[in-house]
Amino acid sequence: MALTYALLVQGAPYTHQAALSALRFGRAVVERGHRLKTVFFYHDGVHNASALMTPPQDEVHLAEGWRSLHRGQGTELLVCVAAGLRRGLLDEGEASRHGQIASNVAPPFELTGLGQLLDAMEHHDRMLTFSP
Amino acid sequence: MALHLINRSPQAEAAYRDAGALFVEGDDLLLIEDACYAALPAAADLLTPFRGRVAVLDEDLQARGLSGRVDARVTIVDMTGFVTLTEKHDSAMSWF
Amino acid sequence: MTPSQSLAQDLAELDLIVVLRHAPHGSQWVREGLDVALVAAAFGKRVALLFQGDGVLSLLTGQQAGPLGQKGTHPQMAMLEMYDIETLWVSGSALAQRGLMPDDLMLPVRVMDVEDCRAVAHAQLPTLVF
Repeated sequence: MALTYALLVQGAPYTHQAALSALRFGRAVVERGHRLKTVFFYHDGVHNASALMTPPQDEVHLAEGWRSLHRGQGTELLVCVAAGLRRGLLDEGEASRHGQIASNVAPPFELTGLGQLLDAMEHHDRMLTFSP
Repeated sequence: MALHLINRSPQAEAAYRDAGALFVEGDDLLLIEDACYAALPAAADLLTPFRGRVAVLDEDLQARGLSGRVDARVTIVDMTGFVTLTEKHDSAMSWF
Repeated sequence: MTPSQSLAQDLAELDLIVVLRHAPHGSQWVREGLDVALVAAAFGKRVALLFQGDGVLSLLTGQQAGPLGQKGTHPQMAMLEMYDIETLWVSGSALAQRGLMPDDLMLPVRVMDVEDCRAVAHAQLPTLVF
């Protein structure tokens, strides 16, 4: 039976293996015929949402990996706004609200509140956490 | 019952101790990332609380050069096996 | 009422357990874990906190802001009661390993032994570990 999954990603990209493990797991979930509904980025995991991520060409592009899950599955890519703002992850709206000169979070990543994490836990069949 | 994930090397004993405190009959433990090193026979004592219900992620083992070094009491699973474990258990807890 | 009965009662009424395992100040885990607990409570969820390992240190009395004005997590702890988060469980072995007693903590807690932890695990409640 197909299940719905949510992932909580708390590791920064290219620092710990957590984000890579989460992306690998997310793809395997989809390959098994399940639905990966939500990925919630919290703690240092918010850096996965940086639109400016520029890894060398011979390395996996994590942000692009997340975006491809969104394209294929409609997976929501949710970034905790409080954790993101502190660490300098802002979309256009937040950047203008806070008088910043640039923004670095763009769709399909969305800044959102922790309530969305709790919603995902409540409404999806499975919740897996990947932390550094 | 629950699936427990540990990703820290055996040096981080607290992760194993705290997971063990909430590990009950019917639960499973999966070792991923640096926790692969806990699948070596030398770390067997650390896995005692998990009563033989321990698996390790094959691709993380291979990356670390640990294939062929795993304790016979630890089951090796691939990424699909990881997903299968999450199908079996309603809940998952990650200890890091 | 025996302590184990009151634990069973707590477990029957809960929606979410948040486990805190890291020390305060040195990392953001306690703060961001507590944020999840407080938001859940604000949304009407009944939340319990389980302090394990170094997490018990976040309850130590006498904490202050850091020299650069880092807030620490003790002001959040003080808010727990206001959000009706009153189920606070502390690992007895974690306290003992650190030479601490419940009197050293800023809030009233239930000290958990091995059997209590087992009861929590058997309740199979949604759990987030930080």
